Amino acid sequence: MSRISPDFVPQLLAGMVVNFEIAAIALLIGLAVGGLLTLAKLAGGVRGAVATTLIGLMRAAPTFVVMFFLLNIIPSDATLFGVHVAPSGIMTVALSLVPYAAAYVADNGSEALRQLRDGSPLGALLFLPNVTRAFFVLVMSSSAGAAIGVPEGIAVILREAELMPTLGDKMVLFAIGILCFGVTLQAGFALMRLLQRHLGRLALRAR
Amino acid sequence: MALRRVLFVAFVWFVALAGLPARADTPDAALAKLIDEAKAAAVVPGACEQPGLDRLVRIFCDGRIRVGVREYYPLFGTREGQVRSGYDVDVAREIAKHLGVEPAFTRVNAASRIPLLADDKIDLTIATMGHNTQRDTQVRFIRPHYYRSETIIVGPKGLAIKDWPDVASRTICVTIGNGSNAQIVSHNARLMLFDEAGVLPDRLRDETCALVAQDDSFFDFYFTEPAFAQAYDRKFGFAQLPWGMAVALTGSDRLARALDLMSQIFHRDGVFLDVAKQNRIGLGFLELQRAVWNRSECNTDTGAANPACVLPALSAVLEPTRFAPQVAAFEAWLEKHTGIAVQLPMFKTMPAWQLFRAGIINSLILVAGALVATLLFALVLGALQSSRSFLLRWPARALTIVLQSSPVVLTLVISAAVALALFPYSSAVAIGAAIVALGLMNGANAGQAIGEAMHTLRTERGGPPVPTVDLFGRAVSRSATQIVSFLVNAAKGTPIASFIGAPELLSALTDITSFASGRASTYSLLLVFYVCVVIVVVWLCDRLRIWLERRQMVTA
Repeated sequence: MSRISPDFVPQLLAGMVVNFEIAAIALLIGLAVGGLLTLAKLAGGVRGAVATTLIGLMRAAPTFVVMFFLLNIIPSDATLFGVHVAPSGIMTVALSLVPYAAAYVADNGSEALRQLRDGSPLGALLFLPNVTRAFFVLVMSSSAGAAIGVPEGIAVILREAELMPTLGDKMVLFAIGILCFGVTLQAGFALMRLLQRHLGRLALRAR
Repeated sequence: MALRRVLFVAFVWFVALAGLPARADTPDAALAKLIDEAKAAAVVPGACEQPGLDRLVRIFCDGRIRVGVREYYPLFGTREGQVRSGYDVDVAREIAKHLGVEPAFTRVNAASRIPLLADDKIDLTIATMGHNTQRDTQVRFIRPHYYRSETIIVGPKGLAIKDWPDVASRTICVTIGNGSNAQIVSHNARLMLFDEAGVLPDRLRDETCALVAQDDSFFDFYFTEPAFAQAYDRKFGFAQLPWGMAVALTGSDRLARALDLMSQIFHRDGVFLDVAKQNRIGLGFLELQRAVWNRSECNTDTGAANPACVLPALSAVLEPTRFAPQVAAFEAWLEKHTGIAVQLPMFKTMPAWQLFRAGIINSLILVAGALVATLLFALVLGALQSSRSFLLRWPARALTIVLQSSPVVLTLVISAAVALALFPYSSAVAIGAAIVALGLMNGANAGQAIGEAMHTLRTERGGPPVPTVDLFGRAVSRSATQIVSFLVNAAKGTPIASFIGAPELLSALTDITSFASGRASTYSLLLVFYVCVVIVVVWLCDRLRIWLERRQMVTA
């Protein structure tokens, strides 16, 4: 077994922080865009139809293609009112995840508002665990950034794997990666389940 | 007496005839004659004010030669304050010295070096310019070429890359528009595109890129840095490109001829070689050229026109498609009527069209394959997770947890690594590996949903009955929404297969934009294509869901 670089684990953890950063940015923008789309959808009429169409298109847009689209359509020296607005690699990945996040928020937001209007505030609060689930899906999806040179967790693993001579050595590295991401994901889902249970107990008490 | 006189005259003619070709045959004599004639023309009163003067004569009128050189190309053309240095700059100084005039430098870059010649702002450009057939229609290149670059692959010393087979399925960082990109693509390497060559060494250092491809002349400078030379090395070179000095197409006949002859002499006498040594650039090409121009058949005043002595220009013209004129007409029409400048390079040249067509076919194969694989893995893993046997159930659950815990890119890379350990790299292997990875990832989740549906069916029946085909069918129907959701997810995930080198549409268009223009319209088209594909898949999957749900209602 070839020696894994002593910097590997710290670099992997630093890379995973980038994954979380990308997911957080995408979710924040997704909440804002998705929130507006939800309101427009519930308003009905032309606005509602436009919002529904937009949500459908956002749901259908593959994240990886959106990422390359953004990367190639925005010039690296783009400015707006004299301000440099070309997104960094991290921001490009985050923006590419926004259509998914916004469509998810719009779908779940509509349901939450419907629950609220039906007099079930706790039903509406289920929006929170759903958003937590979306956040961890975004963390996993942000690994697409490796394709455009963003130094996130998977990019660190692949970089180290390039220097490994045998498939066995590479598999050890990949297993470390799966373990790190897996623990994070399962912890996230456990958090989500806890939140759901807590809300369930609150609902029972309210009755 | 008469005979003696006839013999004497005949002898004199013989000597004259024997001597004349000997003098005219040498490039030195031809150059000296040309320079003398131009100098003589320049001193004729009023000649220098005449319009349409050949540039060689005007150079003697002005006592200076205006040369376009680069200012930010290390080792070839740089400027610090008023001090210019580099190989190109020193070649210009040698030329001026040979003509007996002063060099007057003007800054040029890749975009301005040809227009400045055409606008008569400079007499000569010596600016790291590759000689290709396309540029032959814009400027007159000086032959023989004064240097030659090649594209080299550079990477960390520890990386064992020796030739093309070693780069298949690897990612190589390149600059957009580099003529050698098409060659890299043809060897199954993936490209990561950058706008500027200057960022490539930094991307090597921060490990964003494991391999980069760029002109050897560009890396000459970086290899003079001890830290860079210690960490990285040149893997191999390809796509040799002769560099030419150039003059304007019109009004420069004599100047071009003089420079042709001078270039021959500089090669033959090692002037270029000495200048290159002073500037610490690669010498291989210049050493070869010195030997060539010392050969008797090349060391003549017509050597620059001898195909056995000079190098051909690189053929840069891509074969157009049958419908290229119609596509160009459509682009022009669209711009005229809407003001939108759309470029569709994938329809204009044969290499781009072939890549585009193959990309669409491969994308559709990939989508169909991913859907079938997802369904298949869902049924198999669903059946295993529904089994009463602990030995079947738990491995299936463990596999599902592992697949859920692995980011999509990592699962794809693992699948590709296993496939490449079993088979030699090919497009089919990459597509196959991607189909298996996408099928496993989504099928595992859908299989889990089937397993959970089976569990609820058993609970409803008040105990754990033996799983039957009928019960399994009902579990599949009950989990229809989940299955459909993961089928759509599989279709949406197919473009990511380009990450492991599957030649689908995203990969094909990235390759096309690496050597053609029109990035914005190309990637817009890509987005529209995939959104349409996913919408069709969603519609088909909805039909499947409705069928499964109806089936459940009938069997309930």
